[in-house]
Amino acid sequence: MTAAIRWRRFAQIFLGAAFGLALFAGAADAQKQGGSITVGLELDISGFDPLKVGVFDTAGFTAAAAIFDTLTYLDDKGVAQPKLALSWEHSEDFKTWTFKLRPGVKFHDGTPFNAEAVKANFDRQKDPANKCRCAFYIAYIHDVQAPDELTVVYNLNDPAVNLPAIFTIQSTNNVMQSPTAWKTKGDDYNRNPVGTGPYIVKSWTAGDRLVLEKNPDYWNKGHPYLDRIVLKPLPDAQSRFASLQSGEADIVWDDEYDADNIQKAQKDPKLAVHTYVGSGAQVYAFNTKVAPFDDVRVRQALVMAIDRKKMSQAITNGLSIPATNPYGEGSWVKCKDDGALPYDLEKAKALIKDYGKPVEFKMLLTATPRGRNIGQVLQQFWKQAGANMEMDQVDQATIVPRAFMRQFQLTPWRIVDLADPDPQMYANFHTGSPVALANYSNPELDKLLEHARITADPAKRIEDYCAVSRLVNQEAIWFWTFQNTYYAISSAKLKGLPKIYSGVIDISDVWME
Amino acid sequence: MLGFVARRLLYLVPVLVAVSLLTFLIASLLPGDLAYVILGDQATPEKVAALRHDMGLDQPIWWRYASWLGHVLQGDFGRSFRTGQTVLQAVTERLPVSLELMVLAELGALAIGIPLAIACAVRSGSAFDRFMTGSAFGMLSVPAFLSAILLIYLFAVELRWLPATGYVPFEEDPVGNLRSFLLPALTLALGEWPVLMRVLRSDMIATLQEDYIAMARAKGLKPSRILLVHALKPSSLTLVTVTGINIGRLIGGTVIVESIFALPGIGRLLLGAIFTRDLIILQGVVLFVALGYVLMNFIVDMLYAVLDPRIRHGHA
Repeated sequence: MTAAIRWRRFAQIFLGAAFGLALFAGAADAQKQGGSITVGLELDISGFDPLKVGVFDTAGFTAAAAIFDTLTYLDDKGVAQPKLALSWEHSEDFKTWTFKLRPGVKFHDGTPFNAEAVKANFDRQKDPANKCRCAFYIAYIHDVQAPDELTVVYNLNDPAVNLPAIFTIQSTNNVMQSPTAWKTKGDDYNRNPVGTGPYIVKSWTAGDRLVLEKNPDYWNKGHPYLDRIVLKPLPDAQSRFASLQSGEADIVWDDEYDADNIQKAQKDPKLAVHTYVGSGAQVYAFNTKVAPFDDVRVRQALVMAIDRKKMSQAITNGLSIPATNPYGEGSWVKCKDDGALPYDLEKAKALIKDYGKPVEFKMLLTATPRGRNIGQVLQQFWKQAGANMEMDQVDQATIVPRAFMRQFQLTPWRIVDLADPDPQMYANFHTGSPVALANYSNPELDKLLEHARITADPAKRIEDYCAVSRLVNQEAIWFWTFQNTYYAISSAKLKGLPKIYSGVIDISDVWME
Repeated sequence: MLGFVARRLLYLVPVLVAVSLLTFLIASLLPGDLAYVILGDQATPEKVAALRHDMGLDQPIWWRYASWLGHVLQGDFGRSFRTGQTVLQAVTERLPVSLELMVLAELGALAIGIPLAIACAVRSGSAFDRFMTGSAFGMLSVPAFLSAILLIYLFAVELRWLPATGYVPFEEDPVGNLRSFLLPALTLALGEWPVLMRVLRSDMIATLQEDYIAMARAKGLKPSRILLVHALKPSSLTLVTVTGINIGRLIGGTVIVESIFALPGIGRLLLGAIFTRDLIILQGVVLFVALGYVLMNFIVDMLYAVLDPRIRHGHA
């Protein structure tokens, strides 16, 4: 290394450090203590006891993020960082993970947070007698051990190379609840949750408001900033936005189907639109065991007939972002070549002609205006290519059993935003999985999925997952229309909102300017 | 009289049984088995079968209805499987909100409808009367979800006089409570006043042609006294009935209005129960609403009987 280069390196590091410090100092000054905010959510919060609610909905997530803590959190770059856990290590085969916990943390009711509490949370959900819907998502964990006060050991059935990242989402599985509280409160615990988080439940009027107050003994000194957070269900999209405009709400949940208001807010200097493109996508699965989808030409033709840009324009005024693979912008899996079939109507027509028989089929859709809208657009695209789709609009709750029992030709599905692709990719595409909806089996695909889940090197995993994408795209057993995009609109004065990972609007560390 | 009241009360029982049975049937015809809703994306056939058994869903429907009815008769309306709240808790928590909304809406409708009806009756056939008749039909055809949004934009977003959404408990802040109810009550009232106005107007026109009104005029009484004292009272019989029956329409209206204005009332509870397939809550709420409606009709019947002796003697 020559002197000049060495000097340049030094200068870079020094300047970088100085700049970083300046940024940090600046940010710290701007954060204002005190005040309160009102959050407008889409749904009524039904509660917090995993045994009761099973999983959180969007409203439950936002509240849970303020009341509870998780072992880890995702930083701005998508990397897991310490929260209730201080450090972690894994065994060679990624099947045993050991977490060291933060000492001196207490639940709001004074119960100490320790390894026993973590184990109690897990055991309660895992216990078959409790029949928790939440148990499904921890099926890969065999057991949790608490060898000492601050050490937790997770023994897994399947390897997980990215476990700390999986623990970051504020789900019923991951948030730490006070064992004393659920034991003493019984049925009432659901509406009187106790966590270690930055806010404590002050009062709750069903259907109206959940009032949270600052936890004065929060382990993270100096946090949170606000004295009070009021969470309100505002189910109607128009009046929710009106409440934000009139100042009754400071931040509201939204989604791309409310495109008019989002676009209005983008032009309003008093409002700020927060958006995050997560991993995963809105997806559809062909049943490859039934005609006409047992022929790859038909599947390819239908996929190539979809003009996603036009579709986005038609359903969300252009806000929906086209997806060409199941990973999405928010994923660390980035592919140079994901093998996506291009939009090519002529080719689609040719493929259907080549198939020779009439292409007629039914597509499952949710019985909502949204489902009908999507169905009509696809119907038009496919008609142009020479295929006739009939809409089979059913209740949301009916889609799942129909999909499980393979009683469909084409069904909508969802790949949600998770910190690691493995759980969903393996479930969706590995031979024999209950949600491998396409009924498709390919040893090569299985091998790639099995390899990706036990490989630590992200670069190698990316290679595997991109090969999976190429294979699935070429075989056209599933297709993806749009990426998972999440929205929140707030007053421009609200600062410090982190990325909307997994669609969770986390207001636990925001402040008002 | 007592016999009459008892007889009318007895009629209520089959009505309530029929309503609850119908709700039970309709709720079980809803697509999407409850077990699938609860299990979501892990609804494997074995788990579904096990859960259906646990919840008694594999029992025949008449048996499930009978056991639900049995519990209700013992005062046990059941518990929500989602929130753990009992039906009684959930309903009593939210009932005051809906009642206040309905009472304010009805008062608002009367406050708009009565003066307009009198004004129209006095000048029946005039341009004003024809204009108001037209407007009444117009207002009757505006759905609540449209007038709600228009009112919000005008009074909350543009003028900022009233809150767009939300609810303030009365004991916390009486003025804030009224402010939070003003727009939702007005929304409902806008759909109600035309009916009241039309009914009162035609009755009043008839009354004004009675001889005793001409007599009062001849005695030189003030026109306002004639209208408000001599004509209004005898003209409001039908109005009372319609006002009572309107409560039924209002219950339907509250479902929409409570959602738009985010009021924590019965309507929202009902809607949420339908979406989450919380059948126990759904059953309970419908039963309470039916009971309220039936009682309201009962009270109207009674009022009729009080006002018109022919009815209570059974030869109307």
